[in-house]
Amino acid sequence: MALPLKYNYRNVLIRWRTTLFTVVGVAAVVSVVILLKALAKGIESSSARTGEPGNILVVRKGSQAESGSLVTRDQFRTLQFFEEIDRNAGGQPVVSAELVMIINAPRRAAPGSANTLIRGVTPRGLELRPKVSLVEGRWFQPGQREVTVSKKLAGRFEGFELGGIIRAGPDRLRVVGLFEAGGSAFDSEVWMDADEARSIFDRSEMYSSILLRPRDEAAMRSLTNRIAQDKRLGLRAEPETEYYSKQTATAVPFNILAGLLGTAMSVGAVFAAMNTMYANVASRTREIGTLRVLGYSQTAIVMSFLIEGVLLSGLGGLLGCAFSLGIYAYVVARGVTFGTMDFQSFAETVYQFRVTPDLMLLGLIFSLVIGLFGSFLPALRASRLPVISALKSL
Amino acid sequence: MNPAGSQRATSPSERPPRASGITIPGFVLKNALRNGRRALLTVLSVAMSCALLVTLLTLQRELTVPPESEAASFRIIARNKVSLAQPLPARQRTIIEKIPGLRQVSPFTYFGGLFRDETTTSWAQFAVDPARFRELILEGKIIEGSYDAWVKNRNGCMLGADTLRRYGLKVGDKLRFTGTFYPVDLELTIEVVYAGTIDDRNCFFHHALLDQLMDDWGMVGTWYIMADSAAAVDGVIERVNAAFENTSAEVRAETERAFQLGFVSMFGNVKMLFGSISAVVVFTLILVCVSTMSMAIRERFRELAVLKALGFRRHELFAFILAESFGLSMVGAFVGIGGAWLFWSTINLQKLSQGFLVHFEVTPHIMATGGIVAALLGILAAIGPSISVARMSVVSGLKTLD
Repeated sequence: MALPLKYNYRNVLIRWRTTLFTVVGVAAVVSVVILLKALAKGIESSSARTGEPGNILVVRKGSQAESGSLVTRDQFRTLQFFEEIDRNAGGQPVVSAELVMIINAPRRAAPGSANTLIRGVTPRGLELRPKVSLVEGRWFQPGQREVTVSKKLAGRFEGFELGGIIRAGPDRLRVVGLFEAGGSAFDSEVWMDADEARSIFDRSEMYSSILLRPRDEAAMRSLTNRIAQDKRLGLRAEPETEYYSKQTATAVPFNILAGLLGTAMSVGAVFAAMNTMYANVASRTREIGTLRVLGYSQTAIVMSFLIEGVLLSGLGGLLGCAFSLGIYAYVVARGVTFGTMDFQSFAETVYQFRVTPDLMLLGLIFSLVIGLFGSFLPALRASRLPVISALKSL
Repeated sequence: MNPAGSQRATSPSERPPRASGITIPGFVLKNALRNGRRALLTVLSVAMSCALLVTLLTLQRELTVPPESEAASFRIIARNKVSLAQPLPARQRTIIEKIPGLRQVSPFTYFGGLFRDETTTSWAQFAVDPARFRELILEGKIIEGSYDAWVKNRNGCMLGADTLRRYGLKVGDKLRFTGTFYPVDLELTIEVVYAGTIDDRNCFFHHALLDQLMDDWGMVGTWYIMADSAAAVDGVIERVNAAFENTSAEVRAETERAFQLGFVSMFGNVKMLFGSISAVVVFTLILVCVSTMSMAIRERFRELAVLKALGFRRHELFAFILAESFGLSMVGAFVGIGGAWLFWSTINLQKLSQGFLVHFEVTPHIMATGGIVAALLGILAAIGPSISVARMSVVSGLKTLD
């Protein structure tokens, strides 16, 4: 026969002081794991939200990121008239040759500066990215030294606000509008006219990448194969969504850190939980003896203490989840964004930190594992207490 | 009556202490160790937290404080004002060379190629002018091969000793790189191996080779400049910046140190991130210690009441508790910090992190920080239990059964 659950939760409550310490300790571990994972999640979800399913991105073979890719004008001229490419209402092929550059800009909040991506786009490029929408001001005009900036960036860098001036060496670019890109990677970018960008950055013969939309799926496959097989072209085509889903290298350090810290802190928490549970067992020696005399089996005692440990750390887990959710709510309410340097483009990626249900589940699992490991040995000890001497103890 | 509860972990063979042998330190030590399991668990959890704290602080230092070298204070890096990714025209060289106070200048272009079939760049390749570069890396020592052979061989390269060891290479081996930022591939022969700089991983090759492959593109990544003396550095920086003001390629020159720090500041808020994680670790540590100490004291409430009845004063009891808690946390700190130091200085982290973490040095400063945290912790943990002991009346204390 198993011991009633009530016995455990009453015990947990009656020793509320020691309980509280253990619970808060476990909560701290769980919070650290969830919050670090939430940073990684933010980066991953920004990558996952970027790109339209029907689009194809063409970069130079061997380049890891768009910003490090080079596509010549000749290559673009060849590619432009491939018959697989869709045409818009005006009869023009839906293809956009773009230039992705990096500019160094002073930070607003902290001292120092950081790199941001500046993208030269064409009108077709805007058509190809319907999720990017203007929220303030207007789009840049072709032929003008004007830029439209992601609203998220505007808060992070000096001069990026509406009406501000962004300096690119000797050139000055006026901010005429702000856009939002639905939490995608474009939220970390500044957009301007492609031809103007090529002249400012001295890239008259060069683009970084080509974004295009094939007519249909068959055309998509044939175009991808055609580009892959054309050795002279030296380009690589892949679905835009696929390209961006791979750009998550920035999340790796956060994931590693979450794993390492989670493990190390859990080990510490297991020691602490063991301490508490051993003390619980010791102070209840006579009680355990009594239970044994009443006929509860050793298994029932082990189970009971295991349940108590799990209950204790589970409470901590819940508290940790609640704390992380609180932080998340605060971050969302205040519109706080995070920025980290992307090692591939050397530019800052701006992202939102995301606490998702699966992260909270992970946190809970962490807490339960701590509870199980922390209470296993004490539970074993409780079940093995010699009945008679246990009854005699004070 | 069994004052140690039922958890007597001591072996039966242990002799009872001689009455005359009980000293105050002996008393504290006996108390601390009489529940061996608890003492061990406390020490281990403190040790684990201290090790974690030291590791975090070291990681933070590694990411935010680039290593300093003496020669670096003479050196200047000039990049395009737009950003590091924007190249500079090679024709700037003749103007820079004429700047007074300047000893040497070489182009310094980050190639960023992929080695063999690797998919990420874990160590850098730079295109330089070998004839000039010699003077720019004064701290570097040639450990294999000959520098002059490299100067003569346009397809040769100078490789850092760390990378040489990592891949088990030797002088004369060929290195193949696929360009990422540049649409060209490289095949270089190792002519010379250097060591003794702050970063012995890099590969340097002839800028002339890059120029040739790029059809004489007439650009360089950055300029690497050495001033005559430390005093001349500021003047050279000023003159380089002024020389190209209002040209199509404005230049931003800064000391190598400032350049590195600027690079670090691009990581974003690393310092805050590690700071807050460390704070959580310390907070958890406090919880553990306080709860253990209060458990230990509650268990012997009655004994402390007896001591009180015998005439021990509050501050003496406080001293007992403090000594025990302080002692346990210091042992934990010693094990944890020492363990972390031993661990990080033994394993080859550079190899494990694929060259991402180079030094990862647990400095005395960091170890001291960990030690101070643990010491404060030991004191803090003693306060709560001491207050309850001070408050307790002898009679109620003697009545306690728990």
